[in-house]
Amino acid sequence: MLKTRATDEAGEGRPGVTVTRSAGGMIERVREVAATQTSAIGLVILITITWTVFGVAGSGFLGSFNLYSIGQLAARDAVLGMAQAMLIVVARMNLAVGSIGAVCTSLLGYLLVSAGVPVWLAFLLVALTGVLASLLMGAAELLTGLSSFIVTLAFLSAYAGGALLFTSGHQYQISSSIISRLGNGTLLTSAICPLVAVAVVCGVLCWLLYSRNSLGWKMLAVGANERAARASGVNVPRVVLAAYALSGLLCAVATVMNASYELNVNAGFGSDWLLPSFIAAVLGGVALTGGEISVTGILLAALFYDSLQSGLTIINVPSYWIQLPEGLVLLVAVLLDRARRARRKSMRPRDVVASAPAPVVVP
Amino acid sequence: MNRLARTQWAPLLAATVVAGVVLSFTTKQFGSSFNVYTILQTAAVYAVIGLAQMMVLAVADMSLAVGGIASLATIVTGNLYQVQHWPIGAAIGAALVLGLGCGLVNGVVIAATGLSGFIVTLATGTAFTGVAYGITSSIPYSNIASVLTSLGQGRAAFFSYLLLPAIAMTLAVGAGFRWLPTGRALLAVGGNKDAAVLSGISQKRAIVTAHAVSGLLAAIAAVLYIGVLQSATPATGSDWLIISFAVPIIGGTALVGGEAPASGCFVAAVVLAAINDALIVLNVNTEAVQMAEGLLIFAAVIAGKLGQGIRTGSGRSPQRPGLGARGFGKAAPDGAAPGLGLP
Repeated sequence: MLKTRATDEAGEGRPGVTVTRSAGGMIERVREVAATQTSAIGLVILITITWTVFGVAGSGFLGSFNLYSIGQLAARDAVLGMAQAMLIVVARMNLAVGSIGAVCTSLLGYLLVSAGVPVWLAFLLVALTGVLASLLMGAAELLTGLSSFIVTLAFLSAYAGGALLFTSGHQYQISSSIISRLGNGTLLTSAICPLVAVAVVCGVLCWLLYSRNSLGWKMLAVGANERAARASGVNVPRVVLAAYALSGLLCAVATVMNASYELNVNAGFGSDWLLPSFIAAVLGGVALTGGEISVTGILLAALFYDSLQSGLTIINVPSYWIQLPEGLVLLVAVLLDRARRARRKSMRPRDVVASAPAPVVVP
Repeated sequence: MNRLARTQWAPLLAATVVAGVVLSFTTKQFGSSFNVYTILQTAAVYAVIGLAQMMVLAVADMSLAVGGIASLATIVTGNLYQVQHWPIGAAIGAALVLGLGCGLVNGVVIAATGLSGFIVTLATGTAFTGVAYGITSSIPYSNIASVLTSLGQGRAAFFSYLLLPAIAMTLAVGAGFRWLPTGRALLAVGGNKDAAVLSGISQKRAIVTAHAVSGLLAAIAAVLYIGVLQSATPATGSDWLIISFAVPIIGGTALVGGEAPASGCFVAAVVLAAINDALIVLNVNTEAVQMAEGLLIFAAVIAGKLGQGIRTGSGRSPQRPGLGARGFGKAAPDGAAPGLGLP
């Protein structure tokens, strides 16, 4: 099961693992799996509907060329969703995903084109830069005690400006064959881009982190209840920094993926990454309150999002109408997620007792 | 005077004035009345954008839809005037009503679902911008009413006429928070949600009101900006996100809610506009301006945090229990991780 969730209640065993009650038979187990996997199941249904509708309505939607380009984009968006999810899990957020992307893109372009550095070294340096750029934000948050929102907002502006200053608007034409094969080659069939494999590998690593690794459990615990996590001996600042570092690393991976199919890159890259990163994470069932993640959900959500975009283009919706559905998808995703959580609470009476004094309304 | 010196923006204003005086002696352009007019023209729009964000910050929420609403309001004004041939007054009126309506939608969704304003307005803001792009097919309207042009471009020496509506809005918002029962209710909810609810103030109503007024102010800023830009384009608002937070935060608005210094907003708008202009006059890259804005927000928030400690000591603003500086006003009963503000 690729869904992991921390529980607030004491004595539930390891944090970060779905509670399985010993009493209760097979049916209850099935029902519980269905209840915790609703976002993934719902997304599979949504993707099926989208593919059926656009397959019938638009010509060429299910053609290998179109599926290839959907996979190409969805792979990057899935990694962006994971980059966002790393911080949402610890009850924070990263508004600067795109700006870190801009910094990494500029550096990648500079290293490969102007400096002529070998590809592997460029990858390494870009990954390191992504991690450091994100760690700096984490350190700033921890040192000042400010909200991650405001810290990452400030760095969003600073990094985007810095990237533009560094490149002075220069375009870099990447000619490395390794990179172009990554973004424009094929895998097994002509309908699958190698980037899909990159996204799946990232997904598997994330899943291993959250279900098999103590750092992942600690991240979930910090997100679910920071004070309780601290009280039970979790080094909260270290876990938060790790979350920032992983988010930055995934931003760097997304940058390389993006550059591998665009090839002609500049510092303006990343300016439109914020929305997909939140759509993939929230639609995928990552709780905005922290302490919960679904890696399958993120992968499927990215696939759905890019299928929808591609489908709308295929049925000749003009490009200037494309932004509206983006906003609506996120809104519907958030509302559905809210409804789902409310229902799950009512399905599990014990939780209602546990969270009885929960405030009804928002900040 | 003592109170003035203690406000958060006072040192920044002092530094800006000193730098401004130095610059006007060292460079020819900066002190010229045309340049000062340009600064004030930009500042006027910034001030109204900042007020739009400050409304929601006052109830410890936030709006990422300020730019989206502005985009839509710009397009509606341009479309009704140029394509439907409405009189300009009616077109502006319709845009303002629409802005109010958009804000109302945000407020109602947030209040009804209990979701954080962040994620809801991220979604609706994108949708509003999407509608604006859809209506225009991405093509700006270039036929601008003379009223808007003379307001946006008009000046008496260095005094931009846009300052008049901006100052009026600042005074109106300031007065509303000070004297209107609704305004005080907003601050009460932002300051301490639980205490406000216990004393019979509806939190939901406060959130809806704050977002509705914020939408109206965003639409006003958009209408003012049409005159400055001489074009009604759906791209309006796309770069307002940082400004909308920078202005109120530098002006001393607390992120945890409960404060709404409208005059601080206005001063911060002038300071930001002056810094932008100075960097351009000094031939610094425009990209550096963007970097400077980010760093300024950061500095202002840290200064505000330090200042809050001092003010608490002097008894001006008593410490509110349960409101960690990190949170979004989510005063969790157990002091748990603040999160994005979901219950």
